[in-house]
Amino acid sequence: MSDTVTINVDGKDYQVAAGSNLVDAAKWHAGNDIPVFCYHPKMEPVGMCRMCLVELGSPARDRASGEVMRNEDGSPQIRYFPKLQTACTTTVSDGMHVKTNTQEVIDARNDVLEFLLSSHPLDCPICDKGGECPLQNLTMRHGPQSSRMYFEDKQLLEKHYPLGDLIFLDRERCIQCARCVRFQDEVVGDDVLAFHERGRRLQIITNSEPGFDTYFSGNTTDICPVGALTTTDFRFGARPWELNEVPSISPWDAAGENISLSMRLDRDFDGKAVIKRVMPRQNERVNEIWISDKTRFGHHFTRSDDRLRQPMMRTGGALRESNWGAALPALASALQAADGDVAAIAGSSMSNEDLWELRQLVEDLGGSRLGAWMPTQGGAEIASEVGVGFGTNLGQLGRGDAILVIASDLEEEVPIWHLRLKQAQDRGAYLVVANARHTRLEDFAVQGARNDKVVEGDAIRYGAGDAVEAMRNLSADHPAIAERLSGAENLVIVAGAEGLTLSGSQALAQGAANFLIESEHIGRRNNGLLLTLPGANGMGLHYLGFTPAATLDIMANPPKALIVAQAELLDDDPVARSWLSQVETVIYANLFDDGISELADYVMPIQSFAERDGSYVNGERRVQRFYTAQGPIGQSLPAWKLFGGLRQELGAGHLKPSAAAVMLDLSANVDSFTGISYKELAKVKREFPDVGGRDQYYGGTAYTNTGGLGIQIPSASDKRKGRRPRRVGGYEQPSLEENEVLIMPVTRLYNRQRNFRPTLMLEPRILSPFAIVNADDAAAMGISDGDIVEIVAGESRVRVRAAVSEEIAARTVALPRHLTEEAIPLTVTAGRIRMVAEAIAAGG
Amino acid sequence: MHILLRGRDIDNIKQLAVYEKHDGFAGMKKALAMTPAEVIDVVKASGLRGRGGAGFPTGVKWSFIPQHEPVKFVTINADESETGTFKDREIMEENPYQLIEGSLICAYAIQAKAVYIYLRGEFWDIGDQLDECIEALREKGFVGKNIMGSGYDCEVYTHLGAGAYICGEESALLNSLEGYLGQPRVRPPFPAQKGGGLYKEATVVNNVETLANVPYIMSEGADAFKAIGTEQSAGNKIYCVSGHVKRSGNYELPMGTTFRELLYDHAGGPLYEDRPFKAMLPSGGSGPIVPLTDEVLDTPMSYEDCANIGTIIGSASIIVMDETVDMTWVASKVTKFFKHESCGKCTPCREGTYWLDKVIDRILDGRGSPDDVKRIADVAENMAGTTLCALGDFAANPIIHTIRHFPDDFAQHVQS
Amino acid sequence: MAIIGNSKYEERINHHIAKYETKRSAVMPLLYIAQEEYGWVNQDGINEVAQLLNLDPTQVKSIAGFYTMYSEKPKGVYWLQVCTDLPCALQGADDFHAWLKEELGVEEGGTSADGMFTVEHVMCLAACDKAPMLQCNFRYVEDLDQNKMRELLAKWRAEAAASMNGRSAE
Ligand SMILES: Cc1cc2nc3c(=O)[nH]c(=O)nc-3n(C[C@H](O)[C@H](O)[C@H](O)COP(=O)(O)O)c2cc1C
Ligand code: SF4
Ligand code: FES
Repeated sequence: MSDTVTINVDGKDYQVAAGSNLVDAAKWHAGNDIPVFCYHPKMEPVGMCRMCLVELGSPARDRASGEVMRNEDGSPQIRYFPKLQTACTTTVSDGMHVKTNTQEVIDARNDVLEFLLSSHPLDCPICDKGGECPLQNLTMRHGPQSSRMYFEDKQLLEKHYPLGDLIFLDRERCIQCARCVRFQDEVVGDDVLAFHERGRRLQIITNSEPGFDTYFSGNTTDICPVGALTTTDFRFGARPWELNEVPSISPWDAAGENISLSMRLDRDFDGKAVIKRVMPRQNERVNEIWISDKTRFGHHFTRSDDRLRQPMMRTGGALRESNWGAALPALASALQAADGDVAAIAGSSMSNEDLWELRQLVEDLGGSRLGAWMPTQGGAEIASEVGVGFGTNLGQLGRGDAILVIASDLEEEVPIWHLRLKQAQDRGAYLVVANARHTRLEDFAVQGARNDKVVEGDAIRYGAGDAVEAMRNLSADHPAIAERLSGAENLVIVAGAEGLTLSGSQALAQGAANFLIESEHIGRRNNGLLLTLPGANGMGLHYLGFTPAATLDIMANPPKALIVAQAELLDDDPVARSWLSQVETVIYANLFDDGISELADYVMPIQSFAERDGSYVNGERRVQRFYTAQGPIGQSLPAWKLFGGLRQELGAGHLKPSAAAVMLDLSANVDSFTGISYKELAKVKREFPDVGGRDQYYGGTAYTNTGGLGIQIPSASDKRKGRRPRRVGGYEQPSLEENEVLIMPVTRLYNRQRNFRPTLMLEPRILSPFAIVNADDAAAMGISDGDIVEIVAGESRVRVRAAVSEEIAARTVALPRHLTEEAIPLTVTAGRIRMVAEAIAAGG
Repeated sequence: MHILLRGRDIDNIKQLAVYEKHDGFAGMKKALAMTPAEVIDVVKASGLRGRGGAGFPTGVKWSFIPQHEPVKFVTINADESETGTFKDREIMEENPYQLIEGSLICAYAIQAKAVYIYLRGEFWDIGDQLDECIEALREKGFVGKNIMGSGYDCEVYTHLGAGAYICGEESALLNSLEGYLGQPRVRPPFPAQKGGGLYKEATVVNNVETLANVPYIMSEGADAFKAIGTEQSAGNKIYCVSGHVKRSGNYELPMGTTFRELLYDHAGGPLYEDRPFKAMLPSGGSGPIVPLTDEVLDTPMSYEDCANIGTIIGSASIIVMDETVDMTWVASKVTKFFKHESCGKCTPCREGTYWLDKVIDRILDGRGSPDDVKRIADVAENMAGTTLCALGDFAANPIIHTIRHFPDDFAQHVQS
Repeated sequence: MAIIGNSKYEERINHHIAKYETKRSAVMPLLYIAQEEYGWVNQDGINEVAQLLNLDPTQVKSIAGFYTMYSEKPKGVYWLQVCTDLPCALQGADDFHAWLKEELGVEEGGTSADGMFTVEHVMCLAACDKAPMLQCNFRYVEDLDQNKMRELLAKWRAEAAASMNGRSAE
């Protein structure tokens, strides 16, 4: 079968991909925007709105011979359907003829719009979607000039119906296209939206508890083709035409979602530009057109009152506000005074440019220890060797392919990967989830998104801290599963670090790599390893030489001078205070003060991703750039400028004029970045589905990618195939005394990290501190569900609510990070748990 | 002669023993002795056409089922919700085994795994009775494993709807049976195709009356059936007569009988002697209305002849109205029905039925203008042919055709 | 009470779940059971059906809202649904319906002051040759007129009173 077929649209022939949808094919190949409302290229067509009606014909065939019947001139006779057909439910076929500009089609479009408008409010100027609304656009192009519906006959419906904490529904605006319902059902696999009643009373409802409460709910407001769905964040916040779109990258996790920051000058903010909303920016390889709610709503920290604004220096025992003119020389001499015993710890919100300048600064001073924060997950070097192949697109995984997710709660760690891998399973991929406890993705692996759908998947539960053994012994313990994984056409393994020490996570990465190498799933697109390294730039830290091992070394042997850059040591590590106190000079560069100001000698305000240019390397090794969207907060500097300025102060080179120049320097000096420049990173090409142009598909204009699709760094195995498995290195895991349990820090997407706290709208959804305790253990210790327990591990002591569960390995306690005020242990450790107060009785 | 309403001729035919004594399961036995393909050929040859409304040839429908598919289903459309239709009810109440036998023959012919009988929710006591019949048949080895020792297995189940006319539309029926909203599906794939039927498996959907004919066809032969009725409309048909006649009720007569014979000879003519017939809806609320002229009265009730008078025989639910009836009111009644029953899935039907109802109310209230009559005619025209399923067309019919045939009835409301 | 763990329903619930290829298919029969238990489809019933079938309660609510035979509001002891569709209307069903509402002093869809009768009109019930007719708690009552109806109302009232007394005597 050939891959293309010829279709004729309005008299012209086009070669289009066989099997494609007629709406998509006409848009892509013929530049013909067949208007749609319910159709969405990311979801199954439903033919509901009837906006896409066209005349449709195909070559007539002789009944008996099956031959195509021909006109006198030899051209095939085209037999048209007697009625108009919906293009959105039509798959192209060879010889198909489509007419989109006949009077009948024009009338039909006009009629459908008239029907829709007969019950739609006609108040576009006050609607959130006004200016970027498909209904508005299509009415301008195809619609009736005036309404024939009597105004008093219109239905009056609820205008501000909360579907959940985050999303409001205006029932009068809803055109019943079911995009939101289908998104939740098909894309997210959480069918918490549905229609209620029928006929003209058909309405969107949720009857779930809590309501519309998923990590992806905001996407419905983008795809809603009218202004029926609004977010509590943006609702009535601005007119779309006042907004200025700035391309950016999500600062939260390894997915590197491409986003667009909608900026507007704001009265409440001294007339400066602020982020009014965050929208997805299409990048089919990375996030398609979806973003998580954390990415969408979590931008408030960028203009938080708690941001550091002034450089501060300790003089006479107290930290005092200063200015750069004074601070830079002072800092330079303090660093010099360390006599080469200088080290740095950098967080994964630091851009590549920042890291490059920081590294040079440390090296200029004679230091060599570059630590990555948090030092919880290793294996980045392994991912740089056998990470997913060049050109990988998780959106292409499907039937015949396989996915293993091990030691990760993916929805909490990298929600977009969760979403895309769950969809891969919907398309037929075999999904295996292995963990010491239940995670949400496991539900999909076992039962699929809907209970009536046969899905391919399995779950493996291993014992406390046994991830490495589970990986290593996969073939022996679960031969059938291992066989399906190794026999798959394409295989992606996602490895996390739940229940593992740093060395354990490294060993897991190696074990996973070995499985991929042995089953020949490396060096190819859509195959290989993915690590859920914390933060947005975990791989960037690796490529620039910042390692968790160095961090551990710094912690064990504190240097004289330590630069802490965008790392909240005190929030993350209960022992940080004790080892930091041994450092003579602590230089702290960050957005927020996590309490370190008590210890620091210098506190330097730096800029968030929204205030400067920069780039991150995502978990798939894609270098992606973000752009300056808002002005600086106080006197804060981009970190690269701070460190570059210090180098200049120290006489070690000139401060680069721009982030772009830093990148040029970086790519000239660091092999992995060879050939990468801002210009290259900014390149875009048209992607399918085409969401740009005149915007007939989507309810949002911020989607077009104008900021660049990024460049993927090839893995070592992309360059030379055939790697050999390596020995899984020795690793330590805590051993448990009697009465001890394994305290396993886990990640929650919504938590009390410094840069998330200002997102007040999500605060109600941050869980109160809890720990998941194995049911048998709980019974033995007299702990009931809801009891307050104390968990003691080393210097960490926290009180949390016990969540008793059978779905976690024995002697394992999962303790979410960043829910408690106090830091919990950095990685897995032995500890004790005891009951301190009984559960508050229900209703009490 | 009754083929379907045999409950009227034979006492207690709803008891299995009585049914068996009167040739019950003879057709099934014959079928089991044939290959499935042969059974389909017999039904094809009989000329039986679907009695659910569309009149699609039944054997042809069965032959669309891909034989190699491992799982297939039969679904019986017992939703009977068309205004003025009450024939399937009588079959199921009085002659239930014949329906089950017919559906088992169909199931065998396509090698279905199971039969689901989708009953409108109000028929719950019929459902109970059918469940008892199924149990009785199971005990005899006529349902379940190894039916009649043939090696063929098939289950029969009942399912109750819950008040939704649209669930009579076959793809909505399948959605409803699967536990989804009873809204129609996009076609293709059609129910007979993999991906389009029940649980996405190839499925035959047939009306109760259609399948109740099948035992006769199998036992008496295709020719015997074809001999009844007209060239293109074979067999008997149950006509449900209601409205302004003396004797409303079901009448089983050969297809091709004239309306006159049905309405005068059987139904006894106008309810009130001094009020002649004015109009008739021959296919419930959904088909085009026709004035009851002599030409119409002399038209044979067949698929082909009804087309000549601009209407359809459909499910043959014949609602008769005498001269006292205001057709604007009729249009309003029927429009209210469709407004109430529109599933809301597609725009023209959802919005159109609501809108039409509003404007007709205005006209009936005396607040309308001649423009409003034009407006509803136009809105109805815009609905027709653009909707996802035929309900939208049905809903346009009462407006378009009452205005076309009875313009004065509308004019009188908008004149003053 | 509840429907989960209620021996009264256990067999029926299992029968329905076993009947279909997917659990979801049993949502309609189970909603009837919930309605039987609670008198209407309340949130408890929805949650229980959802739990039994491993569905989100939103999906169950959606089904309950689509079909008219599931009541999402409490009804009177007797739920009277008068067919006023065209065939019945031609036989005087509209007048009968209006009379009945007046007789019981209720608005369309309303319940009589004593909580005894809820009256509403419905579309064709496939009993067009026996008009006027209605459904009383889903049981067909056909060939009605005002006299017959008065007798029935009295009879139902008496039955309800008897069963109330029975209950209080227990
Ligand atoms: C809106 C609508 C309602 C329908 N209602 C019924 C019905 O109540 N009973 C029925 O048998 N067919 C009904 N049909 C027809 C069915 O879709 C389908 O054609 C029929 O069940 C096929 O069976 P048959 O071939 O035996 O007639 C309806 C169709 C539409 C479009
Ligand atoms: S709320 Fe928006 S997306 Fe959802 S059905 Fe209504 S119009 Fe469509
Ligand atoms: S019906 Fe095709 S886009 Fe809605």
